[in-house]
Amino acid sequence: MTWNPAPMRLRTTPSRTASAVIIGLLLAVLLVFFVLPVIWLLLAPSKTAGQIVHDNPLSFGSFGRIGDAWRHLFSFENGAVLTWLRNSAVYALGSLVLTLLTSVPAGYALALTRFRGRKVLLAITLVTMIMPSATLVLPVFLELNKFQLIGTAWSVILPFSFYPFGVYLVYIYFATSMPRDLLAAARIDGCSEWQLFIRIALPLAKPVIGLVAFFSFVGNWNNFFLPYLVLPNSDEFPIQVGLNQLLSSTPSFNPVAGAGLDITIPELALAIIIAILPVLVLFLFSQRALVSGMLAGATKE
Amino acid sequence: MTSSRFARTGRHAASVRVLAAACTLASATVLAGCASADPSTGPAAKGGTSAFKPVAQKAGAQITVWADSTRLPSVQAYQKSHPDVKMKIVTYDGGADGSTYLQTKVQLFDRTGEGWPDVVFGTPTDVTWASAPTKPGATPFAAPLDDKLVPKNTLDGFAKGSLTPCQFNGHTYCLRNDIAQVVLWYNKSLMDKWGYRPPTTWAEYEALGQKVAKDHPGYLVGSVGDTNSHESYFWSSQCPAFNLTKADTLRVNLQDPKCTRMATLLDKLISAKAVTTQGFFSQGFAKNSGSKVLMAYGPSWYGQYVFKAAFHTPAKQIAAAPPLTWPGETTASTGNVGGGVWMVSSHSANLKASTDLVTWLTTSNENQASAPTYPAYAPAAKAWLANPANSNYFADDVSGPFQQAADEVWTGWSNTKFSDATSWSSVVLPALTGGKSLVSTLPAWQKAISDQAKANGYKVTDR
Amino acid sequence: MTLLDSQPVAVAAPPRHGVLPRRRGGTAGYFFVAGYTLLLLVFGVFPTGYAFYLAFTNDHGQFTGINQFTRVAQDYRFLPAFGHILVYLLLWLVVLVVLTVLTAVVLRSRLRTSVSALLRFLYYIPGALAGVASVLVWLFMLDPDVSPVSWLLRGLGMDSFAAVLSPGNLPVIFMLIAFWTGAGGWMVVMYGALNNIPDEVIEAARIDGAGPWRTAWSIQIPMIRQWITYMTILAFAAGTQLFVEPQLLQTASLGRVSPTWSPNQLAYVYAFQQGDFNGAAAISVFLLVLGLLCAGLLVWRSNMFTLDEK
Repeated sequence: MTWNPAPMRLRTTPSRTASAVIIGLLLAVLLVFFVLPVIWLLLAPSKTAGQIVHDNPLSFGSFGRIGDAWRHLFSFENGAVLTWLRNSAVYALGSLVLTLLTSVPAGYALALTRFRGRKVLLAITLVTMIMPSATLVLPVFLELNKFQLIGTAWSVILPFSFYPFGVYLVYIYFATSMPRDLLAAARIDGCSEWQLFIRIALPLAKPVIGLVAFFSFVGNWNNFFLPYLVLPNSDEFPIQVGLNQLLSSTPSFNPVAGAGLDITIPELALAIIIAILPVLVLFLFSQRALVSGMLAGATKE
Repeated sequence: MTSSRFARTGRHAASVRVLAAACTLASATVLAGCASADPSTGPAAKGGTSAFKPVAQKAGAQITVWADSTRLPSVQAYQKSHPDVKMKIVTYDGGADGSTYLQTKVQLFDRTGEGWPDVVFGTPTDVTWASAPTKPGATPFAAPLDDKLVPKNTLDGFAKGSLTPCQFNGHTYCLRNDIAQVVLWYNKSLMDKWGYRPPTTWAEYEALGQKVAKDHPGYLVGSVGDTNSHESYFWSSQCPAFNLTKADTLRVNLQDPKCTRMATLLDKLISAKAVTTQGFFSQGFAKNSGSKVLMAYGPSWYGQYVFKAAFHTPAKQIAAAPPLTWPGETTASTGNVGGGVWMVSSHSANLKASTDLVTWLTTSNENQASAPTYPAYAPAAKAWLANPANSNYFADDVSGPFQQAADEVWTGWSNTKFSDATSWSSVVLPALTGGKSLVSTLPAWQKAISDQAKANGYKVTDR
Repeated sequence: MTLLDSQPVAVAAPPRHGVLPRRRGGTAGYFFVAGYTLLLLVFGVFPTGYAFYLAFTNDHGQFTGINQFTRVAQDYRFLPAFGHILVYLLLWLVVLVVLTVLTAVVLRSRLRTSVSALLRFLYYIPGALAGVASVLVWLFMLDPDVSPVSWLLRGLGMDSFAAVLSPGNLPVIFMLIAFWTGAGGWMVVMYGALNNIPDEVIEAARIDGAGPWRTAWSIQIPMIRQWITYMTILAFAAGTQLFVEPQLLQTASLGRVSPTWSPNQLAYVYAFQQGDFNGAAAISVFLLVLGLLCAGLLVWRSNMFTLDEK
């Protein structure tokens, strides 16, 4: 049950007004900081490239221009944008399934069962999370090649499925929010670990599973570096890598390359909006789970 | 519970200390006889054996072509007109904006022994690493095209000096797609209105710049604020900033009179505000000053992509003039800003189809007449100039200046493993923005170039 | 940003006091972690081990001792890169921790839930814009000629994009971009952590007469201390690996930002431009040690791994 205080409406002393002003200022500045660039981005496809530079940055152009931008974007390399979006969905959803299948049981076991090497596993996980990326790519590429996976979707899905943060999330959730007595009682009753996991732990863990799912999906949807290096063909690219290709076809960034391609800043902005929509929609729908995820275990007794 | 944990940590800490000490001792003893850490694939590395040994050829094998989005239509057109050639077309960023995608992928392919594309479009910088092995024992990625692949006649048809970036170890490893010879751009309508004549020497350019600053303040005769402005100015002045005297030795001497003369000239114009330190390609420039560019010293593609596309200068106003001369010169030297190359992979199983493709792409009138930029192959360039689409926009016939400049590109500005724009953009441009003069920044620029060259394995000299 | 993740997040809760369970030993644990361990070995342990192998050998496979490390440390770009990253880390951690915790407290305790939820969503939106998206947006936000906040930029004395990108401003700019994309997610996490605090505790404080700020400072924040620690560790690790923002700003500014501003970028240049994987590995090991030192320190001081021993 969320504790929701009524806003303090007792005596409005100067200090309370002062703190209300400070809070208001803080929230307003943050709001402008976070949202203003996004508003600019949303308005960009409605203008022509010239208007974006010449007119007021926050002005609205025309709906017709949005239609033009749409057409230019989707005729780029014969509809490559759609292919890229589809690829992103495949990679993100595929690795999501694998992530959940591996991370949730692992987190459970790390928290609630005892076996040798438990602490070692936790420590190793932490170390690999901190290792910088540039040098990890080569060994990962060599491995993927050894198993003939280069050029397949697995070359992206498998590395994506390795999600140590997800494991930590689940680990801490189970370690702190599981009602121990329930587990102890179930064990005494003769439940096997597997039954314990499926029948008792999983249903209670729905919030943290939602959390892991959300962050895994977003992380993989936005991941640029690994697919960029590992995928040989442009029609296998996810949308983030595709955006990079659009960027290098925009005259503002590459004066000569843009010849005849119709990709200018507004088209690029439209492509970005399309690329982030799935994430935003997902966030909107999973807001409750994300926040209550930490909470559910706390008061269940 | 707590005490036992601390005790455990205490014992743990002690054993860690012992372990650390042992390690240090061990490594100290081992260090004595350790191998050198220097990479063995520096610029001095030769390209494998002197004779190029192609892999087993299979007639009719499929070729994989990597092109950028701008060249994609050309490759598709070839496929359409040659349906018997089996091609797989892949797009990538083409090395734009300093991307090292091609180099990265080829290195990965070299390690796994498979996966190389047959034909790629790249930048001249790509040829510097593609003409040498990427790791000990590997074959260089680019095939030497002069070795029984492309006839000498064809190679001789390219503009003077345009194949120099492709040449290493006595072989030619790529075909130049286009060149960007630097010419003098000017707004003919404005010049006529104000009674100015386009300059023919640098002294005239400077004098005109001073005049414009006095009589028509706000109007510009050039810009040094772009990432490649130095190629327009310093390369044209024959400044030895990137002069490879040997394959592995770079000569950098920015105190050479040929460098200081340009730096001094530009400094005078910058203080007169006739030359801007803001780049033509900055977002706000077109808005604020796009209509105030009286002259610009830049590559042949400025006409269409800067004046027309970025500044929206109306048609029939802009014209080009041949490169400027210094006192005592009969022939001018000029710079070059860009240009792509096509390479054929030495691992290709269908060298014939690959070579035919790159030859068609670079030399055929069919393809090059409608290319976005000036072709390097001279006959194709003639066809390009004859194409109205490429010259309608201008006030005058640009063929003369373009063709003259195409043969005047100075070959002393070498193609190195590292981009020549890095030191200019990250050292000189911020200094200029901060109000320092070019002359006073020359030492810092020289140091940046030397440092970068050494980091890439070159020996650096200043004589 | 790491290779495999772009939105790191962590969850920790204040330790629960209660009866210790007696956990059964046995092999069930092994089965549960099998899948994850396989992935860990293939994509975590082996690559890291290979990177260490590279850092101690040259490209002929010969052992080189610490020569790779001394060689890269003498590179003229090494010290500037590490200097940049340390300044950046300082700015980044301070701003991130202070503002996210403060905002989360405000969102949790001083506002109606619906307003709070709306603001959380709005603050999170930039988190969905990764890579290319932030480049484009910030290219326009930072250019006084076209930015909606040009009045602010000019007021600070910067008249052109070039002036905004002067070397002294870069750590601040990257911190702003990183904060813009990352803070929203962390605010959600901190908010959830605050949600975990039992109502009775807050109620008791209120009855005792503690005002909202006092409650925040003395009760709420200490109770989410481990969350804050977790966030600090992960933010520190992500900060040492700064790559995307300087790399993309380098593209957007057409080269005015050095391509080796951050150490991770330097490692990338070594690996993919100079073809020197051994040197790149050596730089990465330096970064790893830096990240581990902080992580180790924080873990040890806050007893994070001993969560279950309480």
